[in-house]
Amino acid sequence: MNFFDFYRQDRWPHMFCPGCGIGTVMNAFFHAFVESGLDQNKTVFVAGIGCSGRIPGYIRADSLHTTHGRPIAFAGGIKVADPDLKVVVFSGDGDLGAIGGNHFINACRRNVELTVICINNYIYGMTGGQASTTTPRDFFSSTTPYGNREYPFDLSEVAVAAGANYVARWTTFHVKQMKKAMQKALLKDGFSFVEIASQCPAQFGRYNQMNSARQVFEWLKASAVPRSKASKLSADHLDLNLMGKITVGEFVERNRESYMKALGVLQ
Amino acid sequence: MSKLEPGTYFMQGDEASVEGAIHAGCKFFAGYPITPATEIAERMARRLRQAGGVFLQLEDEITAIAAIIGASWTGTKAMTATSGPGFSLMQENLGYACMTETPIVIVDVQRSGPSTGQPTRAAQGDVMQARWGSHGDYEVIALAPNSVQEMFDLTITAFNLSERYRVPAIVLSDADIGHMRGTFVIPEKVEIVDRKYHTKPVSYNAFAYDENLVPNFPKFGQGHRVHITGLTHDISGYPKTTDAKVHEALVTRLVNKIRLHREDICRAEVINPHADSLVVAYGSPSNSVYEVVNERADVGLFRPITLWPFPEEQLRECAAHARRILVLEMNMGQIYWEVERIARKSPCEKIELLTRLGGDVHTPEEILEKLA
Amino acid sequence: MTRVRTKIDEKYCKGCNICVAICPVKVYVEGESLSSRGYTIPVIRRAEECMDAKREPGEKKKCELCVYVCPDQAIGWENE
Ligand SMILES: Cc1ncc(C[n+]2csc(CCOP(=O)(O)OP(=O)(O)O)c2C)c(N)n1
Ligand code: SF4
Ligand code: SF4
Repeated sequence: MNFFDFYRQDRWPHMFCPGCGIGTVMNAFFHAFVESGLDQNKTVFVAGIGCSGRIPGYIRADSLHTTHGRPIAFAGGIKVADPDLKVVVFSGDGDLGAIGGNHFINACRRNVELTVICINNYIYGMTGGQASTTTPRDFFSSTTPYGNREYPFDLSEVAVAAGANYVARWTTFHVKQMKKAMQKALLKDGFSFVEIASQCPAQFGRYNQMNSARQVFEWLKASAVPRSKASKLSADHLDLNLMGKITVGEFVERNRESYMKALGVLQ
Repeated sequence: MSKLEPGTYFMQGDEASVEGAIHAGCKFFAGYPITPATEIAERMARRLRQAGGVFLQLEDEITAIAAIIGASWTGTKAMTATSGPGFSLMQENLGYACMTETPIVIVDVQRSGPSTGQPTRAAQGDVMQARWGSHGDYEVIALAPNSVQEMFDLTITAFNLSERYRVPAIVLSDADIGHMRGTFVIPEKVEIVDRKYHTKPVSYNAFAYDENLVPNFPKFGQGHRVHITGLTHDISGYPKTTDAKVHEALVTRLVNKIRLHREDICRAEVINPHADSLVVAYGSPSNSVYEVVNERADVGLFRPITLWPFPEEQLRECAAHARRILVLEMNMGQIYWEVERIARKSPCEKIELLTRLGGDVHTPEEILEKLA
Repeated sequence: MTRVRTKIDEKYCKGCNICVAICPVKVYVEGESLSSRGYTIPVIRRAEECMDAKREPGEKKKCELCVYVCPDQAIGWENE
C-alpha cells in the first residue's frame, strides 16, 4: 500500500502548520498500519477537536470527528456495538488530558479494546496557544503570561496507573520507535496508548522563545531520556519537564483481560 | 427470551419503556444511574443480554450519549435514559447527533430542578431544554407519555421516528409515569421502522439527499470510507466551515426535514374538540383531565403526545372553537408559550396557565375550580 | 551506476528544516532561496553521504529518517 492509498491525496497538502509534528505522526502511523496488516475498510478512526483531531479527515476510511474531549467515549460505543471493527482514536493533550481526562482514565481502567494515539504538544494548538494539562512548569502560553505555575500530567504514567495494556511514549524525533510502538499498539488486545511528544512551532514555540520548528524539535530531542536511565533519576527529575526531561520508551506491556472479553461480548 | 410475547403485562413505566425499546430492536444501552430513571438501566442490564444486546454503565452521561451515537454508526439501534441533571450533561452531544444525523433515543424521566432539585418528585421542567438545550439551530422529536402503556408504545415510536428521520428522539416522561405501576398490552403486530442504508459505497456523497431531505445512512465498516463531523459540512461530509451558503443549506435541511414531515410525526389526543373550555395537558397532569371531561361536556382535552415538533395545526383547530384555554404544567410555563403563540389569533378570550411545582399533580377539583 | 538519492518536492516542502535537524550525516543544510510557494527549501548539500544512497539496488533501506520525519511528505527518492 502506498502512502496515498491510505491518505486522501485529493485533500493534500494537509492543513498543519510548517514543521508541525502531526505530519510526522501521520507518516509513522501509515507504516505502522500497513505493517499491522489491518483492513482499512474494517477500521474506524475517531478524533476529538483540536489540530490532532483533524488526522482522521485525511484517512481513506470511515471516520468520526466528534466533540472536544469525547473521542474515547464515542469510540467505546463503536467498538462494543461492532467488535469486528478496529477502532483507533487520535487525540491532543487538551482533548485527552483536560476535557476528556475522565474518559481516558476510565477507558484505561476498563481496558477497552481501543488504540489511542495522543499527540502531546504541551499546549492548545488549534485555539491559539493556551496552557494545557501537560504544559511544563514555568513554560509560557497565552494564558500563562507569567509562566505556568501548575504541575503537569504525565499522560503515559496515568495510563499505566489506570490499567492500560500497552503504553509507550516517544517524541517526533524517534520516528522508527514511534512506528514500532504504534504497530504493537494496533495489534494489542485491550487498551493501548501511544503518546507522542510533538512540536507545535506555531504556538508552543512562539510562546517559549523557540522561534523555529527546528528549535522545538531539537528541544524535544534533547529532553528525551530513555526510561531505563530515567528511573535512576530522582522522582523530582522525572516530574515531566520539571527538569526539562521527557522519559521515552515502553511504559507497560501486559495482558489484563480486555473489556469485551470480560463482558462476555467477545470470546 | 428476547422480546416479550404479545399479551398483557403488569410493570412499572420505566420497565415498560425497556420492553418497548427491545421490541423496537434496541441492541445497545449506555447509561449512568440517576433517580427516577435508574430502573430503566437496571432492567436493561438484565434484559439486553437476553435480547442479544449490550448494556454499559459508563462514567457519566456525556459518555453515555457519546457511546450510543458511536454504536448507532455501526447500524445498531441504541438508547440511553436519564433525568434532568444527566440530560443537561448530554446537551452538547445531542447537538452532535443532530448535526451528524445520527438516530438515537433518549428517555428523560423528568424530576424537579433546577440543579439536583427533588430527585424523586415529578416535574416537566425539561420541555424547553429538550427543544433548545444544545447550541445552534436544530429540530428534535420529543414525545410525552402519560401511562405505562405509552411508556411502551412511545419508546417504540421514538425509535421508529428516530430511524426514519435520522434525528435524536426523546421520550419526555416524568417521575410519576416512570414509577407508575400498571398493565400494558403488547399487540400481535407492532410496526417497526429501520433506517434506510446506503447499499453502494458512497465515499464523497455520504449526505446526498432527495426531496425527502433525509440522506441514506452509510454505516461504518462497509467500505464507504465516509467522514462524519460535527463541523459544518457539505454533502461529501467534509468540513466546509467558512462558506455561509453551505452552512445555511445544511442547517435549513436539518430543520426542514422535521418540519416537512410534521403530519407524520405529530400526535395528539383530543377529547371534545369543540368544547367551550379547552384544557391543554401532557404527561402526568393530563391524567387528571380525563375525569373532568367525563363530567363536563363543555370541557375538552388537548393532549400533545408529540411535544416537539408541537402539533400546531391540531391545536389551532380546537382553539378555533374554544372560549378559553387552560394549560396545565408541572413547571412555570413552557408549553404554555407554544399554546399562547398558536391560539393567540383565535377568538379565544383567555389563555391561562395552572402551574404545579414540587411534584404534586393538579387534581380534578382544582381544574374544575379554575374553570368555574 | 546511478545511485539513488533523496529529493525534496517543492510542491510539498514548507521549509521547516526538520530534515536538517534529523539527518545523522548532515545531508541537508538550511536553504536561502524561496520556493514558488514562498518557503525556504533546504539544500541537499552532501547527497553522497546519505547512508541509503550508498546501498546497493534492492538492498533494504537503513536510515530513511528524513523521509519518515518530514511532516509534509516532501522527501522521496530519485532513481528508484
Ligand atoms: C466544549 C469545547 N470547549 C472548548 C472548545 C475549544 N477548543 C477547540 S480545540 C481546543 C484545544 C485543543 O488542544 P489540544 O487538544 O491539545 O489539541 P491541539 O490543537 O493542540 O492538537 C479547545 C479548547 C471546544 N471546541 N469545545
Ligand atoms: S497550531 Fe500547532 S499543533 Fe496546530 S497545526 Fe499548527 S503547529 Fe501543529
Ligand atoms: S522536513 Fe520536509 S517540509 Fe521540512 S524542510 Fe525538510 S523537506 Fe521541507
